[in-house]
Amino acid sequence: MIEATVQLLATALALGSAYALTALGFVLIINAVGAVNFAHGDLVMAGGFVAVALSLLLPEGLPVPGLILLPAVLLTMAVGGAALAAVAYAPLRRSPPVSVFISTIAVGLILQHAISLGAGPQPRVGPSLVGDGLVDLLGAALSYQQLATIAVAAVLCLAVHTLLNRTRFGRQLRAAAQDPEMARACGIDLRITIGATFALAGALAGGAGLLLSNQYFVTPTDGAMFMLKAYVATVIGGWGRIWGAAVAALCIAVFEVLVAAAVSYLVAEMLLYLGVLALLMLRPQGLFGEAEGRRA
Amino acid sequence: MHMTITRSLMTLSAAVALAIGMPATAQADDPLAVSVLVPITGFLALEGTAQRNGAVMALDNPPEGVRVTYDVADTATSPEVAVTALRRALDRQKPVAIAAPIFGTQMLAMAPIADRADVPLITVSGTAKLTELGHDIVFRFFPTDAVVKVAQARYAVQDLGMKRPAILFQTTAYGQSGRTELVRVLGDLGVAPVLEEAIDPGIKDFVPALERAAAAGADGLLLQLHSGPTALAVRQAHERGFEGPIVAGSALHQPTTAALVEPAALAGVCAESASSPVSDSGAEMAAFAEAYRQRFEAEPDAFALAQYDGMNMVLAALAAGARTAEAVKIWLAGNRFQGLAMEYVSDGTGNMAHDAIILCYDGLTRTPVVRKRYDNVDGVR
Repeated sequence: MIEATVQLLATALALGSAYALTALGFVLIINAVGAVNFAHGDLVMAGGFVAVALSLLLPEGLPVPGLILLPAVLLTMAVGGAALAAVAYAPLRRSPPVSVFISTIAVGLILQHAISLGAGPQPRVGPSLVGDGLVDLLGAALSYQQLATIAVAAVLCLAVHTLLNRTRFGRQLRAAAQDPEMARACGIDLRITIGATFALAGALAGGAGLLLSNQYFVTPTDGAMFMLKAYVATVIGGWGRIWGAAVAALCIAVFEVLVAAAVSYLVAEMLLYLGVLALLMLRPQGLFGEAEGRRA
Repeated sequence: MHMTITRSLMTLSAAVALAIGMPATAQADDPLAVSVLVPITGFLALEGTAQRNGAVMALDNPPEGVRVTYDVADTATSPEVAVTALRRALDRQKPVAIAAPIFGTQMLAMAPIADRADVPLITVSGTAKLTELGHDIVFRFFPTDAVVKVAQARYAVQDLGMKRPAILFQTTAYGQSGRTELVRVLGDLGVAPVLEEAIDPGIKDFVPALERAAAAGADGLLLQLHSGPTALAVRQAHERGFEGPIVAGSALHQPTTAALVEPAALAGVCAESASSPVSDSGAEMAAFAEAYRQRFEAEPDAFALAQYDGMNMVLAALAAGARTAEAVKIWLAGNRFQGLAMEYVSDGTGNMAHDAIILCYDGLTRTPVVRKRYDNVDGVR
């Protein structure tokens, strides 16, 4: 019993920590531009494919290929995020938010089809973070990969927290997100902060993509599922609440895994969305409250 | 004198037809059109791409004296897109046959329209209902669940000794249809599954299902999952130390699925399929596999081969003199055809394939070996 519970919790935390990174990037963009980036799930998927592509360049037999590639994936996807801002947001920044919804949906589909054409439609396996192997914990066999996924996601979350709260640049990002007009009046260049936010969100999506691509594979059509998880986590955590969404993503994974193990996957999913409906009716601002003025 | 008058009249009528922009009557050596409407994008892109590859390999190499043209269109994953592609093909290309999607939901939407136009749909879709609706234009070249699930269940029970299997199946039409057949055949064999778990194709984590299977005392797993989920289930079962045998659905036979799993995790795992081009060492099959690899830089699978055989049977109909969609349909319904994978003949409802095989992996390579053949499972041939 304990063995099974530990096994399930480790699985849920590994999956949830990657979802938390996804939700984190998703909320950063909501806060920066007041609109939903519907291409965010496809950025996660693209991050997985970038990891797969870069892993082909590494010599065989490296002990920690995923860790070696992580900086390159983050950088590549940061550039991708900035490019998304330039293509799908900047030209429409004075348009109603719905224009950004549509443009990001379009970019997401273009990304999905381009990768499908370039890499093929089949699932791919990303590089393992730390190689294969199992650790025995209370009788449960936990893979190195699961534990490394949780650790890497935690480090990335901590890095984002430090960036946003302990650096001048982070304070500028938060100021621009909280009150763009006042930030502009204080001399903050909104184009740079918004571009940087998209880059940061892209990097986080890339990190999530790499973490997921080994244990759970990656296919060009995965983006919609990641997007849905991030969206639901944001609704539960509170629209615009950065850490609320990340915690909610973690909770969603734990909830789904435990209920699926106790009853069934279908019941787990039904209960999750029933919970979301109840939350929307009873506490529409989410569990941690809505960041003021963020809902588009 | 009579010949001269006839020739003059033909020339005159052709000239008039051309002058007023009407299509001339089809001549015996005019190329005939075939449409290839398959899901090249979306969650069935892997299977749809295999279908396309198999179809175009056949259509690019017609028999002597047969000339065909073809267009390929993507049906993606929605019935609406598939129906639009079908209507466009019927309006513009006037095909004598259509290579149609593996996706049963799309096929169910397309079949009534193709039925009204009387154009045969050549598919590898496994959805049982397709050939139970009374349309005489659906021709299925991949064995139905009523064939392959018999092989899967019999092998699990009679050869591997499973007495308490757990069935993990997808929530899609493919998964539901296979699960129904598995339960029926297991019942005939006197075995009741201890767990039947429906799993959405988006689910990445199979540990909860494996835990429930273990808790229910399952002594083996029967999988009816799509490609990626099959690989995930096999790998996670291996990592978790699930001890019973696994007999998967046909998705595992696809080389791209096996490529996702380390050979060690595949040790002792088996799968049903209609064929396995990479496992068959016969000269003709080897030539097909090599030509496929060279052209598409990919390994062929049973879906590609079944679609290849299906389109070759259409070409055989054209070689036998069929010049219209209706004539092709009648020929397909009334003749036998020896394809690369098996001999095809209709059961009267359009089910053309009646054989299945069981493939197993040795844990050393990702190329399976054919462990057992189940010929003429439904007794049609």
